[in-house]
Amino acid sequence: MNALRIEKLTKKYPQFTLDEVSFTLERGRIMGLIGKNGAGKTTALKSILNLVSPDSGTIEILGLPNPEQELECKQKLGAVLGGIDFYRDKKLTAITDVTRRFYRHWDEAACRRYLDEFAIDPGKRVRELSAGMRVKYLIALALSHHAELFIFDEPTSGLDPVSRDELLSIFRALTADGTRSILYSTHITSDLEKCADDITYIKDGRVLASAEKGTFLRSFQHLRTPEDTAPLTLEDIMVRTERREFHV
Amino acid sequence: MFDLLCKELRLAVHPSLFVFIFLGALVLVPAYPYGMVFFFAMLGIFQSIMYARETRDIYFTALLPVRKRDAVKSKLLLASFAQLTQLLLSLPFAFLRTLYMPEGNPAGIEANATYYGFGLMIFGVFNLVFFTRFFKTAYKAGAAFLTALLPAMAGIFAMEAAVHFPGMEWLDSTSPDQLIRQLPILLAGIIIYAGTWLLTYKAASKQFEKVDL
Repeated sequence: MNALRIEKLTKKYPQFTLDEVSFTLERGRIMGLIGKNGAGKTTALKSILNLVSPDSGTIEILGLPNPEQELECKQKLGAVLGGIDFYRDKKLTAITDVTRRFYRHWDEAACRRYLDEFAIDPGKRVRELSAGMRVKYLIALALSHHAELFIFDEPTSGLDPVSRDELLSIFRALTADGTRSILYSTHITSDLEKCADDITYIKDGRVLASAEKGTFLRSFQHLRTPEDTAPLTLEDIMVRTERREFHV
Repeated sequence: MFDLLCKELRLAVHPSLFVFIFLGALVLVPAYPYGMVFFFAMLGIFQSIMYARETRDIYFTALLPVRKRDAVKSKLLLASFAQLTQLLLSLPFAFLRTLYMPEGNPAGIEANATYYGFGLMIFGVFNLVFFTRFFKTAYKAGAAFLTALLPAMAGIFAMEAAVHFPGMEWLDSTSPDQLIRQLPILLAGIIIYAGTWLLTYKAASKQFEKVDL
């Protein structure tokens, strides 16, 4: 069973169209969603989370059609939206207490264990946490209700290298047993080199390529120039694909 | 339903709402336009919606395993909690006032069955206009509040003015023998409040389904 299957997902805005986006994320894998700002990464992720209503297309989460089985899908989802902090003045205990009410399979012992593992003090307020700790807290919440699909929108943006490295370790640990999967968007492509299994590249609202990382990298090596001594990295691929000439 | 209300009260509500709820006690003031009590409840709800917008409550709710329309239900439950608690809380103060200050309120309507009936109608209309307008965008709370305030304040002024018209004195009475004439207004208030609640939930949900967060 796939963790996520997206088929011809389309959302039209006056100035932008997410155009027939399709990709599949297998269980136990980490997929990086790349593309420059405004390419449609967040729109795609928000459509999966039902925050945005797509005009057409199919979304299947862990074999369940979404939004037809929205409640069941959300029971198995964990999400972190970059730059959106909930209830900055509230204590984590209050947020945790409220969150647990909505999940059928909430595991209180696991919640305490993960908070402890991530060194998060539940007595703190959200605003007292660093950006990295906030992401870890949301991951701990998702793990406490046994989420199987994690969707992260720019989770490592604005983090220092050490915090980013910690998060990437957590990502790898999350998917290690093959039951949990991660889809995350980022433009810090070096993070993906370290931990992603698959890459999906969205350019101007369309999927330019979606494949296993090695295959993906090889498929873009035609962009190499005689001056290149090493294979192109994800950053090289993005920069060369998106490069524009300016006449000012 | 209880979980949604719990989420509102523990995370989304602005603390000032509880102060506005407690202002139901203003019916104890000897001379005061008691219609303002309803205004305070509406102001408290508006502030809480603004606060929830700033604390990204709508995103938090939308990511929970609930339907999108449950975000609307959640806010309506909070509004009803505030409005009905305020009215219930004011009841003992209204009794106290009638017992110890039987000379009446020179500034406007008494806190009697008519008053509570009108209050429920005013709240019902406010909810319908405010939430239907707000959930068109889920962020333009100010415009929604001003639009909803127009019919609500018109209702308050109408209620306060009605008792001054000749032949309408029974509306202003706290005498038990006039209660039978006032009870239909209270009953109409309850029916209108419940009816507008359902209508608001349906209409605002329909608007919110179209909103992209």
